[in-house]
Amino acid sequence: MENPVTGSEILLESLRREKVEVVFGLPGGAVLPLYDALYSAGIRHLLVRHEQAAGFAADGYARVTGKPGVCLVTSGPGATNLMTALTSSLMDSIPVVALTGQVPASLIGKDGFQEADTIGISLPATKQSFQARAAAEIPAIIHRAFQAAISGRPGPVLVDLPKSVLMEKTTPRYPAEHDDSRHPLRHQEWRDEDIDRAAEMILKSRQALLYVGGGVIHAEAWRELRELAELTEIPVTTTLMGLGAFPSSHPLSLGMLGMHGSYATNRAVCESDLLIAVGARFDDRVTGRLNGFATKAKKIHIDVDPSEINKNVPADLALVGDARETLSALVAALRKRISGYSENTQRQAWLASIEEWRNEHPLNYDKSAPNVKPEYVIEMLSRYADEDAIVAVDVGQHQMWAAQFYDFYQPRTWLSSSGLGAMGYGFPAAMGAQLAFPDRQVIAIVGDGGFQMTLNDLATIAQYRVPVKIAILNNRALGMVRQWQEIFFEKRYCDIDLNFAPDFAKLAESYGIRGVRVEHRDGVKDAVRDMLSDREPCLVDFWVDPAENVYPIVPPGASLAEMIVEPPRVVLEEEEVLDDLWAV
Amino acid sequence: MKWLFTIETENDLIVVCRLMNIFRRKGIRLLTLAMASAPEGYKLIVVAEAPEADIEHHYNFLRRTEGVQHVAYYRHEPSHSTSFVFIDGEPGSLDAERWQELFPGAKLIFASHGKALFETPSHPGPRVASSETDQYKFLRFARVRTTRSSEANPAGAALQ
Repeated sequence: MENPVTGSEILLESLRREKVEVVFGLPGGAVLPLYDALYSAGIRHLLVRHEQAAGFAADGYARVTGKPGVCLVTSGPGATNLMTALTSSLMDSIPVVALTGQVPASLIGKDGFQEADTIGISLPATKQSFQARAAAEIPAIIHRAFQAAISGRPGPVLVDLPKSVLMEKTTPRYPAEHDDSRHPLRHQEWRDEDIDRAAEMILKSRQALLYVGGGVIHAEAWRELRELAELTEIPVTTTLMGLGAFPSSHPLSLGMLGMHGSYATNRAVCESDLLIAVGARFDDRVTGRLNGFATKAKKIHIDVDPSEINKNVPADLALVGDARETLSALVAALRKRISGYSENTQRQAWLASIEEWRNEHPLNYDKSAPNVKPEYVIEMLSRYADEDAIVAVDVGQHQMWAAQFYDFYQPRTWLSSSGLGAMGYGFPAAMGAQLAFPDRQVIAIVGDGGFQMTLNDLATIAQYRVPVKIAILNNRALGMVRQWQEIFFEKRYCDIDLNFAPDFAKLAESYGIRGVRVEHRDGVKDAVRDMLSDREPCLVDFWVDPAENVYPIVPPGASLAEMIVEPPRVVLEEEEVLDDLWAV
Repeated sequence: MKWLFTIETENDLIVVCRLMNIFRRKGIRLLTLAMASAPEGYKLIVVAEAPEADIEHHYNFLRRTEGVQHVAYYRHEPSHSTSFVFIDGEPGSLDAERWQELFPGAKLIFASHGKALFETPSHPGPRVASSETDQYKFLRFARVRTTRSSEANPAGAALQ
């Protein structure tokens, strides 16, 4: 019989068996036995400065690799601080395994120091939660946690580990090697005749549109998607989560749809006669007012999660299954029929209409302005970054500008807290992505509001020399809130002013990170090139036009057809003229 | 509209907690709930009110929840052609015994805390007049969907 070992050692061996390379964490009392074992375990640990960052970093790692990201925190506040990150991962279906310390089993429920009902709190924030009650349970729980995180629709899983369990000694029994959790369990409910019906619907349609979400990336179905699009000449629009699933440069790419989608894309949705939704969930930011969404289109909905079917928008045909396998079957069914396919001319007319709408209202901004336009910064980043550069964003105006103006060539290069919309996500997520790919460029595009929520991890990238590039689009305000107050609340600006903030460049310097501020358009290009030129962390604080708004915008409660395409022409009122003069 | 759910979970109370939270979050109004614990897991039987338009989503959400092993839902059918009867009474109670007298082939599927669910053969032999059953506290259902492929599933495809 093998010598008994502690629960901590069993846990680390279980992680090794799941091929875990890096853990993002912050120690505390309840997990001290685990950190003691980690001391000589050979698993890399990145010490973050706040538990939320551990969760976001694990999420970023998972998005770029497709493998579960792992974070480790202590009990009580450590665990509660993690919940925003886990909820974000749940909303975006990101596989994360969160390990949380817990008070000794004998103290659970007795309000011990740093006890929180982590399981209870985590229920709506995770796909599954486990609590180990004996060291012997750890191998099976960890294996199931990894399996649950990646199977079907991926998501975060939490494992709560009482300190007594981490210290308990036992002889472990690990799950069999062949029971390999690294291969996602495929899920399929459609029958061949459903695929045939989908193929017929596609061939009959004249104005079809592929509406693609993050599910295509999770299922690694981007090749099949491209094959389908090119075979049928159907244009592709992506959700915020789907950016990168289809190359921006492809002639069939329409970019993002929805609240801040382009005029051409949203018009195409309104005019389409067949909408093929793949791994997308008809989110309210995509559909606008539901009863006005794609009213002329029949809908085919492909999703691995059956509960997404008919949740928001009724599907004429539902194909519940893994996106890659479903698209692959669909392509095969279409290839059999494609010889009789005579709709090309119709499809060309459809594509020509879309091109016309594109020319009518392209995504645009004032290119002659002397001040720094945020869209220009994004364009420069897109131009000078490598094609495989990874971009992580926060939430707000800069996120939408990045989605609109950055060109994505590859999947798994765009990190965004899309569903939950958690400010503070971008920088730690970039850190996690950089750990996964130390040799690739990783750029955190953040706003000054969101960055101030997690900037304490500047210490982390400085300590480990993680070469994340931070581009702050600094408008000295909570920009998206300001924009909504301007447009929808009659300019009654309330608590959006962030002028009282540190000098971010100097702050970076104080951490030993190169920091630069750019206040004029002329300095943008050089600053971007310089920032991307080396393998060191760097922060550039772009002081952008604080009055710039994101357009187009679909007002809340409106349909896509009611989008505001451009800012209203400004007629300066007397007061504003005076303000301007005074400013001069 | 009334619906009856039967749910089987693995033997982990966390899954049951998650289910309770799902009922709350999805706005499913629970009329009765009974739960039984067994070595292999937990069994819940729930009579709930929910709009018909939402029920398929609820079913799909429940069946894809981690730790849930089987789900079935039944639609309340006031007619006497229903095959599933939910009785407010333990097995052995007068109501339950009366039901089994009327339908000798009736099979007890689930019983807990004063509730019993009987699967009743579709053609139980001599027709029973409404007046003979209406005096008892019976709720009649027809099974609509189940994740079990081996059981009767008259109105919907079996899904695993």
